[in-house]
Amino acid sequence: MATAHALWQSVLGEIELSVSHATFATWFQNTELLDDHEDNITIAVPNVFAIRQFQIKYDAQLRGILQKNGIDVKQINYVVNTKGKKTVINRETTRNTTPRAREEVAQIITPSKSESTSASLNPRYTFDTFIVGSSNDLAYTACQTVAANPGNKYNPLFLYGGVGLGKTHLMQAVGNEIKANNPSMRIVYINTDTFVKEFTDAIRFKRKVSDKYRTADVLIVDDMQFIAGKEKTQEEFFHTFNELHQSNKQIIISSDKPPKSIPTLTERLRSRFEWGMAIDIQMPDFETRCAIIEAKANLSGVELERDTVEYLAENIKTNIRELEGALNQLLAYAEMRGVNPDVVTAEGLIGSARRTRPRHLTAKQIVDKTARYFQLSVAEVCSAKRDKHIVLPRQIAMYLLRSELHLSFPIIASELGRKDHTTAMHSVEKIEKASKLDLTVREHIAEIREQLYA
Amino acid sequence: MELSVLQENLARALSAVGRVASSRTQLPILNNILLRTDGNRLLVAAMNMEIASTQFVGAKISTPGSITVPARLVTDFVTSLPKGAIELQVKGTQLHITSGKYNSVINGLGAEDFPELPVIEEDVAVRYSIATGDFKQAVAQTIITTSNDATRPVLTGVYWHSHEGALYLAGTDGYRLAERKLVDTTSEVAAIIPTTTLQEVLRTISEDIKEIEILFDESQVRFRIDEAEVTSQLISGNFPPYRQLIPEKTETRVVLPKADFVRITKISGLFARDSGGSVTITADADANTISLHSVASELGENTSEADASVTGGGTVTLNSRYLSEALSVVDGDTVVFSFSGKLAPTVLTADVKNIDYKHIVMPLKS
Repeated sequence: MATAHALWQSVLGEIELSVSHATFATWFQNTELLDDHEDNITIAVPNVFAIRQFQIKYDAQLRGILQKNGIDVKQINYVVNTKGKKTVINRETTRNTTPRAREEVAQIITPSKSESTSASLNPRYTFDTFIVGSSNDLAYTACQTVAANPGNKYNPLFLYGGVGLGKTHLMQAVGNEIKANNPSMRIVYINTDTFVKEFTDAIRFKRKVSDKYRTADVLIVDDMQFIAGKEKTQEEFFHTFNELHQSNKQIIISSDKPPKSIPTLTERLRSRFEWGMAIDIQMPDFETRCAIIEAKANLSGVELERDTVEYLAENIKTNIRELEGALNQLLAYAEMRGVNPDVVTAEGLIGSARRTRPRHLTAKQIVDKTARYFQLSVAEVCSAKRDKHIVLPRQIAMYLLRSELHLSFPIIASELGRKDHTTAMHSVEKIEKASKLDLTVREHIAEIREQLYA
Repeated sequence: MELSVLQENLARALSAVGRVASSRTQLPILNNILLRTDGNRLLVAAMNMEIASTQFVGAKISTPGSITVPARLVTDFVTSLPKGAIELQVKGTQLHITSGKYNSVINGLGAEDFPELPVIEEDVAVRYSIATGDFKQAVAQTIITTSNDATRPVLTGVYWHSHEGALYLAGTDGYRLAERKLVDTTSEVAAIIPTTTLQEVLRTISEDIKEIEILFDESQVRFRIDEAEVTSQLISGNFPPYRQLIPEKTETRVVLPKADFVRITKISGLFARDSGGSVTITADADANTISLHSVASELGENTSEADASVTGGGTVTLNSRYLSEALSVVDGDTVVFSFSGKLAPTVLTADVKNIDYKHIVMPLKS
């Protein structure tokens, strides 16, 4: 039979659908199934007024749902949960102080000891193999600090940035580092996908949601954006988060967007994610890309010529995963054919690797995409209007024309319907400065860039 | 539902229960007042998550029925109507109210969504009947020392309990304590009633009520005031064992007219505003005086003295606000103030012999 907790969760899930949100929040939240023995169902409710509501209004409905779950109830007893506090957070902590819950936890801790080694950390990802550049040095330093004193600083640590920029690498490096320093620590690394799946399975098979996350010393959650829109999972994660955070356990989260831009993330989770430290990882600059290629090549025992490295770094700008892919392709090709992995070989290969994307980015495309990104028409962006919401997109478009296509200022000006090239110079300069200081501007640029090369 | 009712009766009932209806609730319908026919009476009820308040109003009922309507609007409307008969009629989820030339339609919500009103099983409940005057005084004397610190819920109510054949009320916020012996009783009770509930009951009591009936069950209490009832949850938890705090003997005892003590406390309190209300009380047995001394470091200082009969003698420092609040609820024209040294609890009573009410204030450390 399912454990009482899981069973009750599924009953609540069903009830939530049939009553109004306010009713559910008032009467059903903070309830608990204490005893699920066939003839003796006992439900703990927050207060004595609620008992009456349950007896008169919801008794029949509860019976029906329990019956569907395979429990034929003769009588349901309602008691006041004397230890229950009003807030959800407290309920969770008091839940664990009841002897029953503690037993459950104790049972789970013992067998899970062996599991600690199998936490799916990849030993390849360490701090040593991470290439630091100006785009990611803040994230790198924060991660090292966290690895040195888990739970004490920057908790939670929230890393965000586009795909293939090293979020997973950094997070795993923290895990590996802590593991190396304190082998007894339980480090749990999960993908949000896995978490969601385990949670839905638990509900479906009426199992108890595993306690392995709540008993972790370090919880690393990858790709948090996938939790968006999954409310029950968010709630479960919220409780897990609170429990860990309250006992000073380190939490590290990654996502492709900052917490505030993840749609349908509940407010309480969002505010918690922003609680510790949120750091973005940017696309590495040219020099960093070169360093990465050299380092990766060295790992494979190959010394690349300088111009080959530069060619790769110059041509692959989107993300490091692709960069690594191209390098591996080059090395494999060279080995197979018995040729030198030089620029010529690279040119031949990269040409084919890049065929899938627009080979020639045009000025028109940049203006187009920028306008669309800001939900403006091209005409508006090129117009003489000086409204704030148009000026910024216009300046960003100029900046991108300069940075991506290296166009001259007079041409940039004319692309956007300006006569004077100094306007373009000013705009580019302004956005360059802003992108260093203003997070939102930086995000806009990164996202438009991504769309341009997608 | 169709009925007619007297404006003065309905207005009184609505304003009595309306305070309980709260707009701050997560359940919107709790902002409404429930109107439901009950035999030949009209039930008027409101509740929140802690308290339910009901009133019965005599009415001429043509068709039974029920509805809930927004508390503020219906109360304000009915109280502004002239005296006389009012016709109430429910059509769908609308309440039509007609009184002479005044017509209004109030949009309401169906009564079936209103939470069930709490019940107390009369035959198992512990009952007390208490004269209104005693009840009012005892409650006022004990709620004054309760705490409003939500982190310690047991201190936010008054502890009603039987002890050595009598019903006692006690309230404390950790710095002061009030205990009142109410009536002799043989039944056993130990319950903490929220201060907010008691305040609500005090407001519900009208002039002409002689006696209040109180019923306790395991987790609820009901006050029956004639046709009105206030039912509340009790605060769960154990009240601290406060009796050991009340000193049995004291070294110093000061007896003086209450008015004198009130006056010197008020005056020296003026100079104690900067120092957190701290006043130093000195009792002099030779001169038979009590003097209060307070210092406002920047503004000046004060010494106020009153004649008193003093046995023993000594000095103690108290918060003047606590002292003046205590004096405001002690009964009678004289007051007995007892203490032992600078650190032991101080006791205020009405008389040397009449110790039904004890008000304990902890000294300030200075």
